[in-house]
Amino acid sequence: MEEHVVATTDELSQGERKLVEIEGREIAVFYVNGEHRAYTNWCAHQSGPVCEGKLTGTSNAEFDRDSLTVDLDWCKEGEVLNCPWHGWEYDVTDGSCLSKDKVRLPSHSVKVEGDEIIITL
Amino acid sequence: MSETAKHATSETTVIDADVHITVEEETVAKYMDEPYRSSITESPHPIFPSSSWDQRMGGKIDDHFSTFTSAGDLLTFQKEFDIEYPIINMFEPLGKFSQPDLAVNLMQAYNNLLFDQFLDDHDFLGLASIATQKPDKAAEELDRVGDEDQIVGVYVGTSGEYPPLGDPEYDIIFQAAEDNGLPIVYHGNGDEFMFDFPIHNRGFNNYFEVQTLGHPWQQMATMSSLIGEGVPEKFPELDFVFLESGIGWVPYMMHRMNKIYHMRRSEVPLLEKSPEEYLRDSFYFGSQPLGEPNDPAHMKQIIGMIGADNLMFATDYPHWDFDHVEELDKYLRNYFTEEEREKVLYETPAEAFNLSL
Repeated sequence: MEEHVVATTDELSQGERKLVEIEGREIAVFYVNGEHRAYTNWCAHQSGPVCEGKLTGTSNAEFDRDSLTVDLDWCKEGEVLNCPWHGWEYDVTDGSCLSKDKVRLPSHSVKVEGDEIIITL
Repeated sequence: MSETAKHATSETTVIDADVHITVEEETVAKYMDEPYRSSITESPHPIFPSSSWDQRMGGKIDDHFSTFTSAGDLLTFQKEFDIEYPIINMFEPLGKFSQPDLAVNLMQAYNNLLFDQFLDDHDFLGLASIATQKPDKAAEELDRVGDEDQIVGVYVGTSGEYPPLGDPEYDIIFQAAEDNGLPIVYHGNGDEFMFDFPIHNRGFNNYFEVQTLGHPWQQMATMSSLIGEGVPEKFPELDFVFLESGIGWVPYMMHRMNKIYHMRRSEVPLLEKSPEEYLRDSFYFGSQPLGEPNDPAHMKQIIGMIGADNLMFATDYPHWDFDHVEELDKYLRNYFTEEEREKVLYETPAEAFNLSL
């Protein structure tokens, strides 16, 4: 395991990311909701460059059986990473896929020391 | 009906998910209220719409249809085909009728006829017809007839119904079916192809082309609508049965909907799992008309993909493209275990239709 300084904290504002190459691997570090998260730029679907996709919100829905109405909710604004190839959705705060259980983006340990963002790989 | 030789299922209990009663227009009219009864009996113009395709090719295929009208005919069929439990329906797809009130009255008439001529004096099992033009009336009808033990499902044509059959407009029907413990049974129709696909109906030059596409297109549209609208998630206790499209389209739709779901999940946010999981949990498929691959091993693979928990046997008797039980049973005997065979012929339909036989 080796530590890699990939960015300084002032480079990443809320909702921003930096894509770097470490030992031949493309890795992105995101800054969302006060946390840094790092993932390999690889979608579980067809290996697309998921970390280059848009960060958006997404829809949630609940059905009330008595009134037969659907309550649509736009939620997780800025927390949903959409693969630019086919739109697979991932929760950027934990890497989980929103449409498939047990599928997660390959994640990496991130820490901040001083103003340096460090990924361990 | 010709005499058939004793076959492998003579020692096996068989449920047939799709047996059609032929009901003459004048016969159902007797169960209708005015002014709708006279609309059927007195109008110089046909009220029952039909396309002009000749399904039996000038008589080259025998007409079993016209003479299959009574409880006695059904008893004869049971004996000849070794079918212990035929699940009967009144066949007519009601979505094709232009007048909503007439369709509603026809729905009630078909159900009253079903009781009067078939269920009251015999232990047959039947499906309640519904017309979807007025969903609240269909739900009322299910509450009227749904608690009768011999009513084991809800019969819905998939030709002419609009909007597509998963639309929230029909939630009141799903709610009533679920409350009454009845699966919804979808049945397409080649002759009614023109109501859903009028441009193609005009363009094709022979019934081969229409029959090839009519049923699967109608059923695919229905399945896509049900999943896309999240109906199995809204009504988790409700089951869905698809008849008369064969089974080859099922793996195709399963896999295709899985793919599109993962790419467009936020568009169908009611769904909590993959389309394939919903199909395996609550959808059932009648075998007829079973496709005829040149290599029988290919049918083994298709049956295997769907599995014995979701597949059931159906004849579609007395229609021109009916399947004898041997059509499916030859694959079950040759390629599957006796346990799986019994599931398909008996246990799976018993589960789908909530039968306690």
